[in-house]
Amino acid sequence: MSFWGAMAGAFIGTLVLTTLLRAASELRLTRIDLPFLLGTVVTTDRLRAKALGYLFHFFFGFFFALGYYALFRALGRAGWSLGLAFGLVHGVFTGSALVNVLLPVVHPRMGTPLSSIESEALLEPPGFMMLNYGRGSPLASLVAHVAYGALVGGFAALGH
Amino acid sequence: MYEPIRDYAAIGDGRTVALISRRGSVDWLCLPDLDSPSVFGALLDVQRGGRATLAPDMPHRAERRYLPGTNVLETIFTTEEGAVRVTEALTLPGGGLGPQRELARRVEGLSGHVPMSWSVEARFGYGQWKTRIGWRSGVPVAAAGNQAVAVCTWNAGEPVVAGGSIVGHFDAGPGSRALVALCAAEQEPLVFPARADVERRLDHTVAGWRRWGRRSAYDGPWPEAVGRSALALKLLFSAPSGAVAAAATTSLPEGIGGVRNWDYRFCWVRDSAFILNALLQLGFSTEVDAFFWWLMQASQLTHPRLQVLYRLNGGASATERTLAFEGYRRSVPVRVGNAAAGQLQLDVYGDLFQTAWLYARSGRQLDPDIGRRLEATANLVCDLWAQPDSGIWEVRSQPLHFTQSKMMCWVALDRALRLAAAGQIPATQVRRWQAEAAAVRAFVEEHCWSEAKESYVRSAGADDLDASVLLGVLFGFDDPRSHRSRGTIDAIRRELGHGPFLYRYSGEDGLAGDEGAFLTCSFWLVDALARSGQAGEAAELMEELLGLANDVGLYAEEVDPETGEFLGNFPQGLTHLALVNAAVAVDEERRR
Repeated sequence: MSFWGAMAGAFIGTLVLTTLLRAASELRLTRIDLPFLLGTVVTTDRLRAKALGYLFHFFFGFFFALGYYALFRALGRAGWSLGLAFGLVHGVFTGSALVNVLLPVVHPRMGTPLSSIESEALLEPPGFMMLNYGRGSPLASLVAHVAYGALVGGFAALGH
Repeated sequence: MYEPIRDYAAIGDGRTVALISRRGSVDWLCLPDLDSPSVFGALLDVQRGGRATLAPDMPHRAERRYLPGTNVLETIFTTEEGAVRVTEALTLPGGGLGPQRELARRVEGLSGHVPMSWSVEARFGYGQWKTRIGWRSGVPVAAAGNQAVAVCTWNAGEPVVAGGSIVGHFDAGPGSRALVALCAAEQEPLVFPARADVERRLDHTVAGWRRWGRRSAYDGPWPEAVGRSALALKLLFSAPSGAVAAAATTSLPEGIGGVRNWDYRFCWVRDSAFILNALLQLGFSTEVDAFFWWLMQASQLTHPRLQVLYRLNGGASATERTLAFEGYRRSVPVRVGNAAAGQLQLDVYGDLFQTAWLYARSGRQLDPDIGRRLEATANLVCDLWAQPDSGIWEVRSQPLHFTQSKMMCWVALDRALRLAAAGQIPATQVRRWQAEAAAVRAFVEEHCWSEAKESYVRSAGADDLDASVLLGVLFGFDDPRSHRSRGTIDAIRRELGHGPFLYRYSGEDGLAGDEGAFLTCSFWLVDALARSGQAGEAAELMEELLGLANDVGLYAEEVDPETGEFLGNFPQGLTHLALVNAAVAVDEERRR
């Protein structure tokens, strides 16, 4: 099992995840734009938000890969199939809790069912499994996270 | 019910354009860009197209204008109960986080109590995608696929979802101020703006347009018409690329109920010389550079050949298909894309070289790479000019040896020679260009002139006339005061004229039905009259034509000479370009 393999998997996995979500958007399945969501936490400038958002997104990609790696160590094995299973759980968690519940709490510009738009601009909240961003969002997000998990698991196993 | 084309006003933000009728209905809006599928398309299908309305809930009169120096529309609705003022714009981005696209509509009560209604009937993807309406943070949202429109309202009644629409009602009393903002997103979450932000952006938009308009250097006798034309053209500019769309719409018919319905949301190489000339005359140097570099970048894709038209993003694909819309007053087919892209139209080479010549003559330098490309294109003109083509009017009948196409091939080679003499392009092929230019001229003089008509004719050996040969006068193929130029001007007025109007041509074009008179040709006639030394007559005709604009100063492509009804796509860039260039030509001739 390789730590640096997991990091390499994180990098490639995040690239693939981002690309898959973008492709789903081009296919009119979803309006998910994770870099935009992340970047607008710190700035209201659209272009800067997208640029910073990509940086944050990669940071989170490495952060989650650390968690994957810790679990692989605890289980004593790694591999693409185990990573795939982690990715599936990760995807469900992202849609149901992380982006749906936690992000609106910490995001200074994200709307909640209790928000009004009298005082400042708000971002559209994602809703359960990000369904607000399109009916294809759960599928797109799950597929992208499964691909991410499989790549992290597969690369982490290269040290065997 | 379909509104007369004349009854529309256009607003825009450099990315897309909305058409608003006198009844306060947004009947055309493509999102996020001008050449994207429509979200509001009632212009082409009142049942399925979708629209966004805002108007008094009772019989009313509407008076409209653009706020001076802007593309912000102001409508005063007067009813028996009172009056309200609606100010609306596609807002320009201001500070802070704003929606990807925002249509802001402000309602101010002026007198009495006016019951107002609004509705938003979003129909994404030319009405073909299934629209779902939901609520986010108390805001109604219409969404389909990767697009969504949020309807944010303040003091405009409680939004209600009813039958696939979002609707609201409110009373506008004296001093009241309501706001309806349609906020759109594609491929990203929606942004719901705060009221103060929308108000600020609306004011910022007024200031932004005025700032842009103040850059105009025009000081001739028709400042209002020329200023409005400049603003209309700016609406058709694609801010990200520098391209200029031919018009904001697709498939508004050239004849009611007919098949002459085309998508004009592309940039035609043909328009390039008119665009650059108008921009240079008006002093919009930023746009001159943006457009020229867009043209050079787009045409690189098909080098050394030129495509007739390119996408606004510079792409070459323009595949034509038809939509399931019923068409404006049942004029079908409704087309998107444009098959003319694949035609051979030789005149575009003359337009490209005239554009490059104007650019270089304005003191700008062509870089060596562009110089080499232009050299290769001039060589291609030598190879192509003797072929028949589809001509400037993109006929769908058999290709012919169109006179105007040959004239523009001569213009291409003449300007190539001038550019080579100025050291702007390589001069290795100068002798060949001189020989071929002489051959083109000999062909035109021998085969395209009719002694019987005393005019250049539409095509070699034909008797039909074509108003586009006036461009031979405008681009210097012939001395404007020569016997042949004056004869051609007279013959075109005599045989293609109808009052101040001109039909494009006589003869076959491979399409069924008739069309209206082509407004651009009337302005070309003004230009040609001025250059041929008839400035007084040119000015008279100009005044007459200026009176034919709609109430907010816009023109369509064509007009029915009998009724004055507008026909064809709207607002039409080429008409406004021809207006600007004609105004400048008349002024120059008078000052001479």
